[in-house]
Amino acid sequence: MSSSENTTQGSGCPAHLEAMALGDMSLTDPVIQAHPQAFYTKLRNEDPVHYDEKLGMWLVSRYDDIVTLLRDPKTFSDKQGYEAQYASGFFEEFKQILIEQGGGFFPDVIKSDPPEHTRIRKLMDGAFSAHRVKTLEPVITRIIADLVDQMADKADHGTVIDGVKDFAIPLTIAVICEQLGINQYDGNKISEWSEAITAQIGRMQNREDMVKNALKVCELQNFIIQQMRDREAEPKEDMISDLVHARTEDGGKLEFGEAVSLVRALIIAGNDTTATAIGNLLFILATQPQVAHQLYDNVEDERFLTRFVEELLRFAPPVRGLAKMATCDTELGSVKLPKGAHMLVLYGSGNDDESHFNCPRTFDVSRGNTGTHVAFGVGIHRCIGASLARMEIKVAARELIKRVSDITLAIPAEDVTYQKTVATHSISSLPITLKKRPAAKGAAGRIDATSAPVVS
Amino acid sequence: MSEITITFVEIGGTEKVITDAGVGENIMQVATANEVAGILGECGGGCACGTCHIYVDPDWESVVGGPNDVEDMTLDMVFETRKPNSRLCCQIELAENMDGLRVTVAPESL
Ligand code: HEM
Ligand code: FES
Repeated sequence: MSSSENTTQGSGCPAHLEAMALGDMSLTDPVIQAHPQAFYTKLRNEDPVHYDEKLGMWLVSRYDDIVTLLRDPKTFSDKQGYEAQYASGFFEEFKQILIEQGGGFFPDVIKSDPPEHTRIRKLMDGAFSAHRVKTLEPVITRIIADLVDQMADKADHGTVIDGVKDFAIPLTIAVICEQLGINQYDGNKISEWSEAITAQIGRMQNREDMVKNALKVCELQNFIIQQMRDREAEPKEDMISDLVHARTEDGGKLEFGEAVSLVRALIIAGNDTTATAIGNLLFILATQPQVAHQLYDNVEDERFLTRFVEELLRFAPPVRGLAKMATCDTELGSVKLPKGAHMLVLYGSGNDDESHFNCPRTFDVSRGNTGTHVAFGVGIHRCIGASLARMEIKVAARELIKRVSDITLAIPAEDVTYQKTVATHSISSLPITLKKRPAAKGAAGRIDATSAPVVS
Repeated sequence: MSEITITFVEIGGTEKVITDAGVGENIMQVATANEVAGILGECGGGCACGTCHIYVDPDWESVVGGPNDVEDMTLDMVFETRKPNSRLCCQIELAENMDGLRVTVAPESL
């Protein structure tokens, strides 16, 4: 499908872009999407709140402006921005397909503004707290260690494997299904469904794609509705049950459609994003061997691992740009914006802003302010799943580096392909080779300490 | 629920005295309910975001105690501004013996 049709670097080398005028460039260009850094730099230097004509949106590229915007949800509405982005151009038709074949059209209740947003968010925060996620570490470790072993066996005799499709995607799907309590699933389907939802905010689909994707979203919803009905009949100890039976602070129940939209959000929001981060982890380990060595040498140091994960998210943020909308005439970074201005917040550019992060293109675990990156957003919509995502990435980094070495790209770095979308910056396929470490560092060492309590 | 007094020193030095903080509430809830500048509480008290960072007044450190492991890791993400008496105040539940507590809001590490 076109949202994941692949794009290589082609003519989009930075030197070529530098010579172009901003007005002639657009984020809808798949070449720029694949290698956006030079474009971001140009935006920040020349026109930090820039109207991209082709996209019809204002690109917000400087760190400070991004934080200012995100901390002012009254002036910049998440709900309106999202709705204007969703199935852009085909919304009515999309909605109709879902009503007819997908059990209904269920607006995303989490993509709303206060006070509605506050009500929903309070319900979800507890489930994803850092403490709750910490208790999941043994289970997550077991899932990930198994996957690393499988991948290492497959790759051991020099076979080229796909770090994204064979590892990153199955990993995140397994974790979120475990969380939600879905124990029987078709990983390929879930992956397709995720792409179909993500395509709705990617701005790169034509009508034909939209119809195809809408049908996949229908499948997803029918699957979710079935899961929910099962738990209505027979409650279980899992997150879907929690949502089906949840009570909001005012004592009200979530409506059925609201709960469907939340389960859908949890399946989707955490999948592609976290898989992308883990794909990026592999890419960096493959292309920056000194980073791989540093990780190996410090693999027992929790503090190092925490900082490593934050720097990975700063250096290569999975979410590129999400939409907001001005609710009144306003100003940002001294640019005047009319009511209804459709904004695209470029998290990817904020993390690359040299006025905030020294030498942003250097992967530096020791920088003092890594934690201030905006990969998870800031403000009231800050990612709910941040602790879970961090845990998955940390465990993936640890289990990988303990078990395998010599991760190497099987194609030139320039030929790595990216998904076509304005919403994320995601490697779509990552052919690599790797070696199994002899007597893996973890096999007899600390891995036992973490996985011991889990009896499968 | 009994009430105690807690003083927040905001980033600019302004003091905010809250006289009706409830025992059992966490400090982030008290701060956001009273619009203490600089305490955002973006993850709703999930110990996940670091936007409720305070310094505990030295006189109160022994009463309040230090962070546990999970909090320690989250605090580490704001390590530019971290000090030995740093805490994430969503992780501090108010108790009777904290009447008169004084804390300073940490600057955002921007
Ligand atoms: C590395 C992985 C991830 C990244 C980079 C990421 C990034 C983001 C970003 C940038 C936002 C929007 C912030 C804004 O509006 O400014 C967000 C929101 C959200 N994320 Fe994540 N996310 C990740 C993983 C997850 C996971 C694992 C889950 C859940 C299981 C999740 C669930 C959500 C939800 C439900 C929202 C909407 C929150 C709201 O609007 O209040 N995310 N995420
Ligand atoms: S409110 Fe997020 S860490 Fe305290």
